[in-house]
Amino acid sequence: MASAARRGSQRVTLLMLVLASVTVLTLDYHGEVSRGISHVRRGVLDALAPVQRALAAGLHPVGDVAAGAFHYGALVTENGRLRAQLGAVQAQLAENHFAVSRAEGILSLEGISFVPNIATTPAQVISSPTSNFAYTMEIDRGTASGVAPRMPVVSGRGLAGTVIDAGTSTAMVRLVTDSQSSIGVTFGTGARASSAIAVGQGVGQPIAVDEIAGGTPHDGQTIYTSGTDGGAYPAGIPLAVVTFVRTSAGGLTTTVRARPLVDLAALEYVAVLEWLPQP
Amino acid sequence: MTPKVWGRVAFVALVALLAQVGVLDQIVVLGAHPDVMVVLAGAAGAVGGPSRGAMIGFVLGLVADLVVPTTYGLSSLTFVLVGFAAGLVRSLPGDRDGRSVQVATCVAASAVGTLLYALLGALLGQSVSLGQQVVYATLVVTVGAVVLGVVASGVMRWALRGADRGEPAHPVPSGGSATR
Repeated sequence: MASAARRGSQRVTLLMLVLASVTVLTLDYHGEVSRGISHVRRGVLDALAPVQRALAAGLHPVGDVAAGAFHYGALVTENGRLRAQLGAVQAQLAENHFAVSRAEGILSLEGISFVPNIATTPAQVISSPTSNFAYTMEIDRGTASGVAPRMPVVSGRGLAGTVIDAGTSTAMVRLVTDSQSSIGVTFGTGARASSAIAVGQGVGQPIAVDEIAGGTPHDGQTIYTSGTDGGAYPAGIPLAVVTFVRTSAGGLTTTVRARPLVDLAALEYVAVLEWLPQP
Repeated sequence: MTPKVWGRVAFVALVALLAQVGVLDQIVVLGAHPDVMVVLAGAAGAVGGPSRGAMIGFVLGLVADLVVPTTYGLSSLTFVLVGFAAGLVRSLPGDRDGRSVQVATCVAASAVGTLLYALLGALLGQSVSLGQQVVYATLVVTVGAVVLGVVASGVMRWALRGADRGEPAHPVPSGGSATR
């Protein structure tokens, strides 16, 4: 009897907690409460940002090389002294490499030619996707730097994503490969210009190019934002290069896939376009 | 559970969140990273039983959802079910309190939890495509849980130490008395 009572109690607990979870889920769809939750989330992300920066810096190879040099330098033997010297040189080399890499990343943002008339805010990527199912990244600029939700984010090579949430010092960016990312695109020029919708399919997956109006793109063709999808992006930002085109036997459907131009997995520096869609 | 136990659980949840955001999120394999929060929810059930597993899973889910861009409460719902299911394993006949059984339960709970999260996310219209990435994510989280499960079950044993003091281990049957 005790066992049955315990099972009954467990079921009640489960039911109550499931109901509580569903209530929280429902509240997040409610405007006022959702804004409150977003506010708390932004606060948490802002609070965690310094820790993330510190850990990111700590995990950098420079730190590893320096630690290695310190370890060997602690040895009293000649071998240890030489290894310490070697470690110091390696550390210097790694530091130089890091500086060059960083300079290249920042310089690539200087060369953003596809949006010459739009001011940009440079930012550093401080976090990879926090969920295995939502492809976002966190950058170290927020509302204090003028970053706001719905601003496009680019690297030197093209479109990377869109700001979906902004705290004071950090912002969350939805990547173009996220399945909720849907972008009006165009390819070809003049009379051959066609439009389509580019939809993300997840990290590491190509972008699907659907609802093509006009001619079919060809392998290697670059697709750009069209600027016509309700004005969500400025026109002319390179997005992806076509890697796969297949037309069905009847010629009724065409499947097109494209690879993002931006290497989203290795992204370190980005620029937030100080541009908002038309209301 | 006593306030002291809840305090330890809250401490564990916050440290786990920092570890997740600061370290584990950076270890990306096949586009996915290990997930310590779902492992802890499984460990809570494996160590504390169904009710405690569900309750701690709920709290862990609320904390985990603070840093992911999906609907708030999705992790809570998933972890409640994961914690409860992991706790049911403990309720099965035989010796289910061994550490290896607890770790194995954590690993299994992590795999099921990841799949369940993807399924619930897709049902709620979140940016979850039920395809190859779900398989990769489940694989990475499960492999990660083999390592994290050992730590998580140990941490939960510490957090739930003395959890029985505030409540009877077994409910008193109706008509009985708790005092004599």
